[in-house]
Amino acid sequence: MLSLFRITDVSAHCDLPCGVYDPAQARIEAESIKAIIAKVADNPDPDFRMRATIIKEQRSELVKHHLWVLWTDYFKAPHFEKYPQLHTLFNEATKLAGAAGTKGEFDAGRADELLGKIDEIARVFAETKAA
Amino acid sequence: MAPTYRDGDLLLVIRGLSPRVGRAAVVRLPPDAAGRPRPLSVKRVTRRSADEPRRWWVDSDNAAEGVSSAHVGTLTSDDVVAVVVARVRRG
Repeated sequence: MLSLFRITDVSAHCDLPCGVYDPAQARIEAESIKAIIAKVADNPDPDFRMRATIIKEQRSELVKHHLWVLWTDYFKAPHFEKYPQLHTLFNEATKLAGAAGTKGEFDAGRADELLGKIDEIARVFAETKAA
Repeated sequence: MAPTYRDGDLLLVIRGLSPRVGRAAVVRLPPDAAGRPRPLSVKRVTRRSADEPRRWWVDSDNAAEGVSSAHVGTLTSDDVVAVVVARVRRG
């Protein structure tokens, strides 16, 4: 009768990656970049422009970082199968945050393109969360 | 699975029951991205897969830390090895 009962160790969680992911993180940084570009357009002060440049580069790096975390940690092989455009989306979005995009330029149009790509990623993300 | 369960809790589980949505279960998780095996785990079965009737979505009650189907995809009924019936002793 006793052999019916057996004590086994099980874990409640087992990974350090915290499991909290949200494209909103990348979006907030991209919004910040867009606002910096608008502020610089209205302000000829060279010191202000220098600070804006530095901050804009930092924010662009943060956009890339947050997108990379989603790309490598959140999305899994089945997601890439179901949404074959995902790899290209991430590649284009991180490029838009790079030297040829918001990091290197003061171009509000680039910032809007970047926000558009992040929104496309966010739509896929929301679908995978709802699945 | 905090706050529901904590380290050292003793749970009574029944092997071989079919998964019930809403119930905690002992599950086998697939290996992590580096191919390392994950330990046998307690997760909450939160819904049946929309596409396949014998696959289950599992969540952690501790969503901020726990691994869930968002990371590992849905699990087959075979990987849900037991259903938690009760906690016998607080850890």
